[in-house]
Amino acid sequence: MWQYEKKLQYPVNIKEPNPALAKVIISQLGGPDGELGASLRYLNQRYAAPCREVQAMLTDVGTEELAHMEMISAILYQLTRGLSMKEIKEGGFDTYFVDHTTGIYPIAASGVPFSADYFQSKGDPIADLNEDLAAEQKARVTYDNILRLTDDPDVRDPIKFLREREIVHYQRFGESLRLVTDMLDSKNFYAFNPSFDKK
Amino acid sequence: MPVLNDKQKLMRKLQQSCFALAEANLYLDSHPTCKMGLEYFRRHKAEKEAIEKEYTEKYGPLTAVQSDGTKKWEWVAMPFPWERG
Repeated sequence: MWQYEKKLQYPVNIKEPNPALAKVIISQLGGPDGELGASLRYLNQRYAAPCREVQAMLTDVGTEELAHMEMISAILYQLTRGLSMKEIKEGGFDTYFVDHTTGIYPIAASGVPFSADYFQSKGDPIADLNEDLAAEQKARVTYDNILRLTDDPDVRDPIKFLREREIVHYQRFGESLRLVTDMLDSKNFYAFNPSFDKK
Repeated sequence: MPVLNDKQKLMRKLQQSCFALAEANLYLDSHPTCKMGLEYFRRHKAEKEAIEKEYTEKYGPLTAVQSDGTKKWEWVAMPFPWERG
């Protein structure tokens, strides 16, 4: 089971509201490579992990992604505090505002709501871990793109932290994939699915 | 009722104790100055801490940060809870 801690994994303290920036950063909450999808991907996949090391990795990374979701939400919250109607209209935030005011709702930057279509849980650890490696790289690219879109150091600092975590998770999933293939037939990793077939 | 081994019995006690705390927690969120509620929470918190200490000393960590091994990372030694047993 899970327990909530009243602290962010890394501090978020943004002084200047910026609704236009919130509109793009929201993709890392509810977009195709966002933190909500990441967390659900790993926390659902972990039951098909064939060894404790990979069960632990998916549990622990999936848990950390929940903390990242909270950091993104804190960034969105702070970027949309105390806005005037003029700022909302000029920042192009009116299309979000009409449906959600300044509440936090998981959507992509394009406005598409979050969907479980963004991840797979295939019941096969080689397939799942390869998806996980790709997912971490895609999230890293999204953070790189966010960094191209803002000069605000208060926003860049926590975004850079999150970007680094994608790289670390990619490394750890690479090691997890290696652990799984080491358990299998080196002449044919695909001879059987260790999470389904009886040897 | 199935026959439980010592580890399972202690886990049941821990689950019961944690559930009492979870219920009190929600109640206190909306009744933060209720004296009876606060007293109930404190009593069960002490009980939960004692059971948790006994469980982790005998059977290993319940959270990753409770791992304390010098030779092996204990977190990957114990089964995850979705495996029966």
